[in-house]
Amino acid sequence: MNITEDLKRFIDNENDSNSQKRKSDVIKSIEKSYSLQKEEYKYTPLLKKIEKKFNLLPENKEIVSQKSYSEIKKNIDSEFYILCVDGFYKPELSNIPPNISIKNYSELSDKEINLFEKIYQKYDDSKSDFFSSINSITHNDCLTISLDNNFISKDHISIINIIENYEVSNFRKMIFCDKSSEVSFFEQFIDLCQGESFSSSVTEIYLSENSKFNFYSAQDFKENYHYNSINTFQRRDSTSNFYTLSFSGSIVRNNLNICLNDKNCYANMYGFYAINEKSLVDNHTSVDHVDENSLSNEHYKGIMGGRSNGVFNGKIFVRKKAQKTNAFQANNNIILSDKAKVNTKPQLEIWADDVKCSHGCTVGQMDEDAIFYLMSRGISRKESISLLLSAFSSEIIDKIEDDKMKSAFTSLIKNQLEKFNDE
Amino acid sequence: MLKIKNLHASVEDTKILKGLNLEVKNGEVHAIMGPNGSGKSTLASVIAGREDYDVTEGEINFQDKDLGELGPEERAREGIFLAFQYPVEIPGVSTTNFMKTAVNQIRESKGEKPLDAVAFLKLMKEKMKLVNIRQDLLSRSINDGFSGGEKKRNEIFQMAMLNPKLSILDETDSGLDIDALKIVSNGVNALKSNENATVVVTHYQRLLDYIVPDFVHVLMDGKIVKSGDKNLALELEERGYDWIKSEN
Ligand SMILES: Nc1ncnc2c1ncn2[C@@H]1O[C@H](COP(=O)(O)OP(=O)(O)OP(=O)(O)O)[C@@H](O)[C@H]1O
Ligand SMILES: [Mg+2]
Repeated sequence: MNITEDLKRFIDNENDSNSQKRKSDVIKSIEKSYSLQKEEYKYTPLLKKIEKKFNLLPENKEIVSQKSYSEIKKNIDSEFYILCVDGFYKPELSNIPPNISIKNYSELSDKEINLFEKIYQKYDDSKSDFFSSINSITHNDCLTISLDNNFISKDHISIINIIENYEVSNFRKMIFCDKSSEVSFFEQFIDLCQGESFSSSVTEIYLSENSKFNFYSAQDFKENYHYNSINTFQRRDSTSNFYTLSFSGSIVRNNLNICLNDKNCYANMYGFYAINEKSLVDNHTSVDHVDENSLSNEHYKGIMGGRSNGVFNGKIFVRKKAQKTNAFQANNNIILSDKAKVNTKPQLEIWADDVKCSHGCTVGQMDEDAIFYLMSRGISRKESISLLLSAFSSEIIDKIEDDKMKSAFTSLIKNQLEKFNDE
Repeated sequence: MLKIKNLHASVEDTKILKGLNLEVKNGEVHAIMGPNGSGKSTLASVIAGREDYDVTEGEINFQDKDLGELGPEERAREGIFLAFQYPVEIPGVSTTNFMKTAVNQIRESKGEKPLDAVAFLKLMKEKMKLVNIRQDLLSRSINDGFSGGEKKRNEIFQMAMLNPKLSILDETDSGLDIDALKIVSNGVNALKSNENATVVVTHYQRLLDYIVPDFVHVLMDGKIVKSGDKNLALELEERGYDWIKSEN
């Protein structure tokens, strides 16, 4: 059995109005992305692990239930939230802010379709990533979020994705930010599945001129295999800030792709992963400087305990036209046990000449001098380590400007670090 | 209070302490002097319980208790304090938070309730005055970017906060200007009582004008080779260590 063959059959059998042309495009992108698996998933055997376990081409139907998810809602710290279950948007369970249009793609008006058609599957990485190409044919409806001109929200909007009824579920959304709008989202996945499951999520984000966009995500899965792809396309003077926390999950793969397609764009990518047991977390990021005067700044830090595996790959492209680019990247890791591993790799491709770029990665262990210093004041070894680990994470936390999100991330990290000790 | 008998210690199979004896009683001040590399800091670390050093022979008793298997945090809770020759820089942890954790873990080990925020602040304020250390220094990461003198002052501040029974000050005077030396010494003297004791490791007689020792010991090649009163320090300042070498 070959997954690509299955996929082709799956597409051919689809009896919707897909044109032959589109079908053959999809097949091409599947073949192309499949051939890139070997290189792009060198340390992350996601496909190998899941292809025999699950049917990757499920035909999930929306399950209508009376559940109110009140336990989950109680923990939401923002007034407004969007709730999705198994990849289906649940408006009746959500509390959406006025002045923002949040709808399924299938329910968009003609005018709205015009807008989202230009984004839908245009900016994703389905040509280069196999899981994105599967997501693009298996996802159900697509959630669309659009912000008007000058829309500004102070508090963040939570996006709660619940994985519950299916072994395999696929989430898909688009976010359109019109000129000078400003918004923050905090996305979380909640794994209610019994046993193992696979979920994928693909997001396309379009940032118009002068818009400002913050995206926080906290990933804490149980036995879930998770694929996440976020793709951002930025216009002039726009800013994006990404903060990604990853704590557990069998395998978690994050693709964060940012295209700075215009002048004066800013992109900040911060990540913190603290993983244990047999978890594998892989952050693949890419930032593409297409035009002049843009800045990208990236810092990921990670702690690996148990038999866990961390993977970091950061690509920076600076195109010929992108003079006066500033691009910075750093990745620092602490390994707590002999059996934990990390693979980290920067990848820079620079065609412009007037560019400031830096990158650096470190892999180290706990500092025994520091531990002894703390212990010599009466602090236990466990508490000393936890102080040092939270100090390690503080550099990322300090990058968060919003007080509410800062304290939310601080307490999430604190809880997670309590599970760590040196072995 | 402290009884060290025939102490042998090594690190990675290199013998550093080779049969050291020392007894410190309540209320006493001892000075340990000796050439570079003779093992003074090693002795301090071994008393504080650093695990990199193997004690191969002999024993350390503190208040009639064998320290043998106790970890560094347990020794600190028993009342041993080491002011480091080279205080460690720890980015991301403030001294305030560090001390709050330390004070409360020590209290907890004694079955006492943790100090609340108000009581802790009061204690801090009081001890800050004693060593004349600024609040902003304590809000910063531990020793991170501190000057040499600021680091030493921070050590004495921590000592004041923890109120130990036995303080070992490893070259706390080096790097201090004369004003800072006075402040630090005054701090140490203010904390002195009949219930506690101090061991100062130093190269300079200068410090001993301020912290006056009851005994002066010379540590050479892993052993205490000569002991005397404060006049021994004056003699060492004048004559160096060679004459002791030839005496032995
Ligand atoms: N961790 C270690 N590994 C290897 N050698 C060590 C270690 N710690 C100490 N030593 C060695 O042990 C000897 C004694 O060192 P120690 O630091 O105790 O000397 P000291 O008397 O404090 O010297 P100073 O006056 O320069 O501070 C030195 O030769 C030193 O190099
Ligand atoms: Mg020394």
